[in-house]
Amino acid sequence: MSPETVAAVAEQGHEAAKSAASHGHPEIPNIITLLNSVAGENPLVHFLHHWENQFFMLLIICFLTWVVRRAYRERSIIPTPLQNVIEMFIEAFESLVVGMLGEKEGRRYLPFVGTLFIYIFFMNLWGLIPPMKSPTADIKTTGALAICVFLYVQYSAITRLGILGFLDHLMGSPRDVIGWCLVPLFLPLHIMEELIKPVSLSCRLFGNILGEDILLGVALLLGIGMLSFMHSPIGIPLHAPFMFLAMLTSTIQALVFSLLSTVYISMILPHEEGHH
Amino acid sequence: MQFDAYFIGLGIAAVGSGIGLGRAVGSAMEAIGRQPEAAGKIQTAMIIGAAFIEALTIYALISVFLKG
Repeated sequence: MSPETVAAVAEQGHEAAKSAASHGHPEIPNIITLLNSVAGENPLVHFLHHWENQFFMLLIICFLTWVVRRAYRERSIIPTPLQNVIEMFIEAFESLVVGMLGEKEGRRYLPFVGTLFIYIFFMNLWGLIPPMKSPTADIKTTGALAICVFLYVQYSAITRLGILGFLDHLMGSPRDVIGWCLVPLFLPLHIMEELIKPVSLSCRLFGNILGEDILLGVALLLGIGMLSFMHSPIGIPLHAPFMFLAMLTSTIQALVFSLLSTVYISMILPHEEGHH
Repeated sequence: MQFDAYFIGLGIAAVGSGIGLGRAVGSAMEAIGRQPEAAGKIQTAMIIGAAFIEALTIYALISVFLKG
């Protein structure tokens, strides 16, 4: 790229960051906001700008599919480097889930929880690649994921415990007179608890990733602003230290989301250990 | 003026969360020091607990975003 193009792109990035800052919070410009600031009238660009998060989600899905397909096709007894990495990743997560749910149940629920972890992990980290954005910095994405978890947990509760067992679980498993007397207290409490779970799951992930993105955006804007009097296309990369913090929170939040889903699943499983 | 109060509230929430996290992680470290073989289990429980504690500040943060 010629210096003029670089300067023009930097200027547009600056404009995009400013426009984002004017209506809400500072945001690192991504490829779609850049396109929008260049050709906002184009219907395709407008469409992409409207479905920004979904675009990046599809991109991540394509990327993950490509990587896994490549590793799967070239699998062998002597693993290729890519296969090695993926196996390490999956084995580490499997030991975590199996440690929480037990051998049989852990294997059974690993695909769901593991998919959640890998998907959220990549969505969180996607925002750190320069022209990209984290789709999880939007409550709609995290809400959809949390609703998936909620529905799956309720579904497995009903299939594993049966309708009556599920109602019994909601009523706090009354076994004696005192237990039955407390049912009017426990039933609404348990139903509220089940309904509040997806809200807390989605808000936690959304808040963390949005907070992290805003922190990066503020630091980046500060870095650009410090050199803007020189009309320099390059700012001071003040956000660099926060990138490491963002990597840490991204990983931990993905882990927390999937581990909490595991805990919710473990709560509805029949408690076999308790009886003997 | 009203907007500033939100930030002060966020700071107070962060202080509470920080105290809670410090206690939780400190106790977990102590427990790992006492029983290094149980480190994995303690760590998992600690991360889940930390997520619950931290969520409170995140709720404050979200309400600031929504109000701002």
